[in-house]
Amino acid sequence: MKFLSKINRNYFFLLLIIMIIVSVAGYFILQFIILDDARENLTQNEALIINQIIKTGEIPNIHPIVEITRINNKTVKESSFKEINMPYEGEEETFLEYSNQVKIKDSFYQITLRETTFEKDNLVILLAMSFIVLLTASFGISFFVSKKMNKTIWVDFESNLEEIENFSLSGESSLSFIQTDIEEFDRLNTVINKLTKKLKSDFVSLKEFTESASHEIQTPLAVVLLNLEEVLQQDLNKDTFEKVIASINAIKRLSNLNKSLILMTKIENNQFKADNLVSISDLFKHKIDEYSTLFESKKLNTEINIDQDFGLRINEQIADILINNLLSNAIKHNFEGGKIQIYINKNEFRICNTGEDHFLTNDNIFNRFVKGNPGSYGLGLSIVKKICESQNLNIQYEKKELHCFIIKSN
Amino acid sequence: MKILIIEDEIELLIAESNYLTKEGYVCEMAENFQKAGEKISIYEYDIILLDITLPDGNGLELFKTVKKYNVKAGVIIISAKNSLDDKIIGLDLGADDYMTKPFQLSELNSRIKAVLRRRQFDGSNIITFNEISLNTDSKAININGNDISFTKKEYDLLLYFIVNKNRVLTKEAIAEHLWEDNIDLADNFDFIYTHLNNIRKKIKSAGGKDYIKTIYGMGYKLGEL
Repeated sequence: MKFLSKINRNYFFLLLIIMIIVSVAGYFILQFIILDDARENLTQNEALIINQIIKTGEIPNIHPIVEITRINNKTVKESSFKEINMPYEGEEETFLEYSNQVKIKDSFYQITLRETTFEKDNLVILLAMSFIVLLTASFGISFFVSKKMNKTIWVDFESNLEEIENFSLSGESSLSFIQTDIEEFDRLNTVINKLTKKLKSDFVSLKEFTESASHEIQTPLAVVLLNLEEVLQQDLNKDTFEKVIASINAIKRLSNLNKSLILMTKIENNQFKADNLVSISDLFKHKIDEYSTLFESKKLNTEINIDQDFGLRINEQIADILINNLLSNAIKHNFEGGKIQIYINKNEFRICNTGEDHFLTNDNIFNRFVKGNPGSYGLGLSIVKKICESQNLNIQYEKKELHCFIIKSN
Repeated sequence: MKILIIEDEIELLIAESNYLTKEGYVCEMAENFQKAGEKISIYEYDIILLDITLPDGNGLELFKTVKKYNVKAGVIIISAKNSLDDKIIGLDLGADDYMTKPFQLSELNSRIKAVLRRRQFDGSNIITFNEISLNTDSKAININGNDISFTKKEYDLLLYFIVNKNRVLTKEAIAEHLWEDNIDLADNFDFIYTHLNNIRKKIKSAGGKDYIKTIYGMGYKLGEL
């Protein structure tokens, strides 16, 4: 929900509650004022009528608002008010009735005065009407005002937000915000600026750390490897030779593992600039050509079906690693005389291969150090997945007749 | 041929120097930036092996000195960082090749030879081993006077063997030389056997001898019979 809609919604509910309270209170207050006013009128009228009777001796009678009758004796001590409903001009009307018994010039009179008051229904309708009018008017005004303000007040905020959205840790540029004249926004900008500067320096130091850690690991590995290689040149018996080779391979494995992990970190950190439009079909064709001996030695039958080319704006080195890893995977987990099928169209490409059944599924096949067979590192497909994630591609593993990896653009 | 090895890890420096001396090069060593700078400005070298991460300076800075005093030298960058940026910068500055640690000596040797050939220090683009001769310009192979057609990988493999003659080469080293880091095949190196079989067949059909020996099924060595 947008900030503005949220504010408007809250404002609307608040207004609604206030209006209900105000209306209920208003009802009682209005009722009280109207009745009080009517009472005052009636008592004033009584005084006027008594004066009139004293002066002229005439007894006025105006039905239904003034009714005076002579009575023999005073039966009620005090004056009283009551509300009555009676027909008036063809309609039921509510009257406030005042009745009193007074003594004028030795005679007793029953004075009954009436005044129309508001009907309760009318009062409720009036209040409800004003309630609705006020609510819609104030809400409407605030809605249009905030909408208008949104265009002016939020415009700098929006452009600053865009600046943040386009911010990349690995990029060269730093954030530059538009100065707004709103304190909160400027505070936010300052905080974000500080935060990104910190993030950037952390990022750089982490990057430097991984690189120098790799340096520190690779150099002693190089020393071991070089010395073992020299040992290998001597006249060794089979047993020693095998041991030296096993050691060399273990060192290489360690070094490759190190390289793969560094590569993954680099992909995660988006350190590869997507600078080229790469044709996936051309890349596959090129790789298949390059790997022809590998296919030959395993007697693999490769098929490539291109419906339409799949183009990708990607770093060339990364594209190379992506296709390499997918192809290596298809070769490695294949059996002799098996097949590899590649399909490419505009929105997706898939690479399928024959191979042994295994327990891995789409959910865990891409995890680090998960291996289909003991010979592999368990990193190739994790790297593939990382590349796909960084390129906004979706990768799926499907196991049917063939093992398939399907890569789709999102 | 004179080589300057710039490397801050003494063990590595000695191992490289011992090997290259055995291969017939004259080696000089520098273990830091300052020493390397001095040597480059005083002596002439054919090849400079340059580790770019030095304790007292960035090795890439040494290119200025090389350009000024040692234009003829071929420079091979040796870096622990498998970083594309460094590679591109290095090659832009005029490096002849770029290797990442850890590497094998046979690989180092073949890279040095390739740089020397490219720079024409040997004065010849023909490499000969008995009846086999390789033209490194046209990548053509001639056996007993007949041109035999080899695929690119087969040519690369044969050249690698001849450059590293009398050295035991492991399957892994061969695979890495042919495919660099591109392919993660773990323990499956059957394809090398396929390549070698093709090479042997071609040499044999042209009347050549089989100089490649298999050592305990795990390594290969090209040498005189």
